[in-house]
Amino acid sequence: MSGDASQTESTQRLRDALADGRLEQWRVPLGLLALVVFLRPVIGHEFLLNYPPFANTILVWMLFAASFNVLLGYTGLLSFGHGMFLGFGAYGAAIGLTRFDLPFTVSAVIGLAVAAVVAYLIGRIIAQRGEIYFAMLTLAFAKAAHFIANQNYGGLTGGSTGIVGVLPSWIETERGVKYVAAGGFQFDWYYLLGAVFVLAALAIWQIARSPFGRSLVAVRENEELARAVGIDDKRYKIWSFTFSGVFAALAGVLYAINNQGSSLSTLTVETSGDIILMTVLGGANYFFGPLAGVFVWLFSEEFLIEFETLVLPLAEYPLVRIELGGLLSYWQFFLGLLFVISVLVAPREGLWGLFRSGIGGLYDRVRGVRE
Amino acid sequence: MDGIGIQTLDRDALPISPGELVTSLVLFVLLAHAFAVRPGLFVDQLVGGLVYGLILVLVALGLSIILGLLGVVNFAHGAFFMMGAYLTFQVLTVWGLPFWATLFVVPVVVGLVGIVIERGVLQFVYDEDPLIGLLATFGIALMIDEATRAIWGGSPLSVTTPQILDSSIGIGVTTIARMRLFSVLVSVVVIVAVYLLIERTDFGLSVRAGVLDREMAEFVGVNIPLRFVVMFFIGAAIAGLGGVLRGAELGMDLSMGNQFIILAFVVVVVGGVGSLFGSVVSGILIGEATFLTPLVLRTLSETTNVAALNVSGIGGLMPFLVMIVVLLVRPRGLFGQEGFME
Repeated sequence: MSGDASQTESTQRLRDALADGRLEQWRVPLGLLALVVFLRPVIGHEFLLNYPPFANTILVWMLFAASFNVLLGYTGLLSFGHGMFLGFGAYGAAIGLTRFDLPFTVSAVIGLAVAAVVAYLIGRIIAQRGEIYFAMLTLAFAKAAHFIANQNYGGLTGGSTGIVGVLPSWIETERGVKYVAAGGFQFDWYYLLGAVFVLAALAIWQIARSPFGRSLVAVRENEELARAVGIDDKRYKIWSFTFSGVFAALAGVLYAINNQGSSLSTLTVETSGDIILMTVLGGANYFFGPLAGVFVWLFSEEFLIEFETLVLPLAEYPLVRIELGGLLSYWQFFLGLLFVISVLVAPREGLWGLFRSGIGGLYDRVRGVRE
Repeated sequence: MDGIGIQTLDRDALPISPGELVTSLVLFVLLAHAFAVRPGLFVDQLVGGLVYGLILVLVALGLSIILGLLGVVNFAHGAFFMMGAYLTFQVLTVWGLPFWATLFVVPVVVGLVGIVIERGVLQFVYDEDPLIGLLATFGIALMIDEATRAIWGGSPLSVTTPQILDSSIGIGVTTIARMRLFSVLVSVVVIVAVYLLIERTDFGLSVRAGVLDREMAEFVGVNIPLRFVVMFFIGAAIAGLGGVLRGAELGMDLSMGNQFIILAFVVVVVGGVGSLFGSVVSGILIGEATFLTPLVLRTLSETTNVAALNVSGIGGLMPFLVMIVVLLVRPRGLFGQEGFME
């Protein structure tokens, strides 16, 4: 039958594409698209969180984690102050809108530019220090930024309340759900956010696989050797820090829309710490690792807090009933434990690495059975 | 274990430059001016800065020892400090033991927790990338924070100090709380004791040998892992004691661990990694800078009538400003060029 024939033909072509790696190079773009398409229905499902807008928050954090991983995963530099750049983006957008009545895009660009300049200057001062110095110095700079925002010099940053209730004119809210109103059209904010997320993540991926990104990996793997083959490691580190800061600031701009303003919490040590935990837990070695870490972390945060009683095997037929409400409000303790274990076992693999090797093993076994 | 076997510079080759001379003169004039305008407040701030600085030194000492010895930045060190403060509440208010008991019970308990962490986690990361130790201890700090929240709750607590420490002593221009003097006394005793232990005992000698060349020290029969455990115990216990002093004076809350680990690291960086003496000097320097700068600026703005000079909240920013200036002028820290424990 002709249908069968064409099907085998297309399967054959797909197999060929898989074999010579043509599909392989589209893996990340396709994966990102699939992520954006499937994230919202999955999160919004009534068995899970039953709250679709939470997908917006997850995407913002995923972009933040991807930007952070340029530094940690590809360059091997650990920054304890990356929330600072998230804050620059968020505060830049919010301050431009409210204090100077600038259009949103202009204030967002100013936020990104400030983040770039600050990242470059800080990078100049500290990029050449040892890893531990670098980590703690970024922490100190972030602490200083938090302090300045909290002091509210000149009434710009709004002190500990931050800047609330800020939205660009083309965003409308209806019962807590944001819509983009452009011309006569109105569509859910998630789609614009998703588009920006995919583009920015692709840009990060493109940077990571360019000669520049490969040089970063060389610096990470063996600094002396990289220097010996002519890579100016200091320059590469500074630029890596700058790129990472700019993309984090972009995440901050999205954060400002998503949270209707900028809060002081973006600049805290906790935010910078959370992004480290998410990235390492997910697996700094992989492009998708940090994204997986963000998903697991935020999902646990939302899901476990509301989880009161575990009933096994099904709610209709309770055999075992475990009260977890009190215990799970301390979910960070258990995630911290998981984090410590994953750092000790395989510091660069994380959950995504585990998942990949699990899938790989399963795939091999299935194929082995068939052949 | 970088940064320990650093070559020594000839200090005579570093004469005071005119710039340094002018800076010190200006600083001296500013301080003298502040003292002349408000002597009482000046002495208050001086003592406050000393107490604060010495507590920073207590946290930084353990951090510095563990960093120098094990090559691990112990991010959980701030959590030890916080644990010390909360255990003070436990021992004093819940168990009803006298205050003096906390000074011994709490450091020992915190030190034992430190040993558990060292044996349970840190011993596996000694030969790894330093980042892995930092990440692992960061996770531990998170766990300790959550455990503290689970046990003692999220709201700030405080304890009552014994009556003998409640009153103040008059010294003419102002009065000083006895608790503060007591904190200074305890801190100084502990710092001197640690110095003597490392500098003047055979144990300290073998520890220093292990720092310089671990393999060689093991060849000549030094049990290095045992020394690591003991030094980790001491480092954690000192941080716990710092927590007792801070908690007794100002109470305890969940953010103190994070706050102090950052400041303690700033102290270590400013003093120079590997130099205990540097940590002591920079701790006191940063404590005084935090407390005296606002006063100096305030008196200056009062005299000159320039309101802009009185920057609000400048004190909390001072540790970071001091650090940035020191690192720009002297990248190795104040005493960074000398050997470990000098």
